[in-house]
Amino acid sequence: TAAEPWPENATLYQQLKEEQILLSDNASSLAVQAFLQMCNLPIRVVCRANAEYMSPSGKLPFIHVGNQVVSELGPIVQFVKAKGHSLSDGLDEVQKAEMKAYMELVNNMLLTAELYLQWCDDVTVEEITHPRYGSPYPWPLNRILSYQKQWEVRRKMKAIGWAGKTLEQVLEDVDQCCQALSQRLGTQPYFFNKQPTELDALVFGHLFTILTTQLTTDELSEKVKNYSNLTAFCRRIEQQYFEGHDKDSSTTVTARSAKRSLLR
Amino acid sequence: MAAPMELSCWGGDWGLPSLHPESLTVMAYAKFSGAPLTVNTINNSWRPPKGEVPVLISEDIVISQPAKILNFLRRQKYNADYELSAKQGADTLAYIALLEEKLLPALLHTFWVEAENYCSVTKPWFASRIAFPLSLYLPGKMSREALNRILLTRGGPPLYSLTEVEAQIYRDAKECLNLLSKRLGTSQFFFGDTPTTLDAFVFGFLAPIYKVCFPRVQLQEHMKQLPNLCRFCDDVLTCYFRLTVSGHSPAGQDTADANLQKLTQLVNKESNLIEKMDDNLRKSPQHPPRKLTTLKLAAGGEESSPLNRLSP
Repeated sequence: TAAEPWPENATLYQQLKEEQILLSDNASSLAVQAFLQMCNLPIRVVCRANAEYMSPSGKLPFIHVGNQVVSELGPIVQFVKAKGHSLSDGLDEVQKAEMKAYMELVNNMLLTAELYLQWCDDVTVEEITHPRYGSPYPWPLNRILSYQKQWEVRRKMKAIGWAGKTLEQVLEDVDQCCQALSQRLGTQPYFFNKQPTELDALVFGHLFTILTTQLTTDELSEKVKNYSNLTAFCRRIEQQYFEGHDKDSSTTVTARSAKRSLLR
Repeated sequence: MAAPMELSCWGGDWGLPSLHPESLTVMAYAKFSGAPLTVNTINNSWRPPKGEVPVLISEDIVISQPAKILNFLRRQKYNADYELSAKQGADTLAYIALLEEKLLPALLHTFWVEAENYCSVTKPWFASRIAFPLSLYLPGKMSREALNRILLTRGGPPLYSLTEVEAQIYRDAKECLNLLSKRLGTSQFFFGDTPTTLDAFVFGFLAPIYKVCFPRVQLQEHMKQLPNLCRFCDDVLTCYFRLTVSGHSPAGQDTADANLQKLTQLVNKESNLIEKMDDNLRKSPQHPPRKLTTLKLAAGGEESSPLNRLSP
């Protein structure tokens, strides 16, 4: 219930980090982790191969708090708010509208671009997605599950008009989105100046993951690197909220050249 | 000057230049930026709408989605966002994303999926503007595509039935309308006194909700509780689409002018007759002489003026 305080054993579930998880899910998971860190709520990350099937909505990540299970950033923010923790209470109505609009921009453009790259770009699909997505399962189940998921995602892309886009056009959209985020952030430390909000968590989750994930080309991460205030933003949040917490992930934005990153 | 540009899109009714949100967005942007577009509304001609509507044709170039069409117009120096700062440009992108994610599903549902609305209003309206036999097939296809889009983007678990999905998308749409209303506040347009791309998109999405008379109108009723959004739509319609209260669409402006001519001729004939009668009356000693002037054709004037000058 909402009245219960946040327990110590709250858990976040995602797919297996080294072998299975994909770019988009990793971004979403990191966004939720960042949000909870910003709220100062302890969370333990657990990796399970069948996390997608355990989730109430089929989407990841999901958190298990007390006897409740909530998935995806939006509902998790609401859930946390019901427990009395919120990052956006200090915003006025117009700022809240702006925050929601920018969160939709990230979902509409960045997340969709990540999904496109993972499931509609043939090279990436062959070399990265198919091997990773089905990796916990034996043949032929791994191939069947991969193809099923790919068909689902492609159907959705077609319905929203992204199926006809080329990779160049998708990268241009990513650039446009990053430009907008960069312009909105400006020289401030966070999007709403002094204090981070769920928007900062969401943007961090996606941008950090894009910057530190090795794909078949560097084009995606190059788009983000073009905007220095965005990379500085990622570094800042990483240092403030993740250094010292995450023992198994030795990837930082600064150390990227030295150590290989989250995927592959 | 750029080559002549033609826009092919769905026509309008209920006081709107177009019923179709994307078409309306492009038409509004063209008005705001002063781009000279010839608007061809799709009618019963044998040329079926080729896939995506609206379509801009300029010489050999064919461009189809609203965002791309607007980009093209900007490159031709028709830029409504000239005065915006970088941050305002970023805000534009964000709010457009909000419209597409939160408002569009409910808008599509109201037009194409809600059974009463679709059967009594949308289908007959669109079918009457498409040539037979496509008119039997195309509206159904558009309806199926709308439902498909709603289910694929919003219909996953934990929402398991269509009614649950519907409830959720209308909740989201109402919240979106509230957010837009808060953002607009008391300003005339979203970024001050001149309309921009964002105003074009918001108008494109809101005006159909506001004006089209459906049997099931929960979104319209919600919007009417947000008077600044209604005022925004009315302002754009009266200032940029020259619609009078009676709501003649610009596509019918020529017919309105022709009607005006006919009306004025009729009135002139009438006044000639009355003059004759008056002459007869003058010959009788009881009434003082009066003069009735013949009416001249008013160039693009209001309809009511010729009638006003007929004073007994």
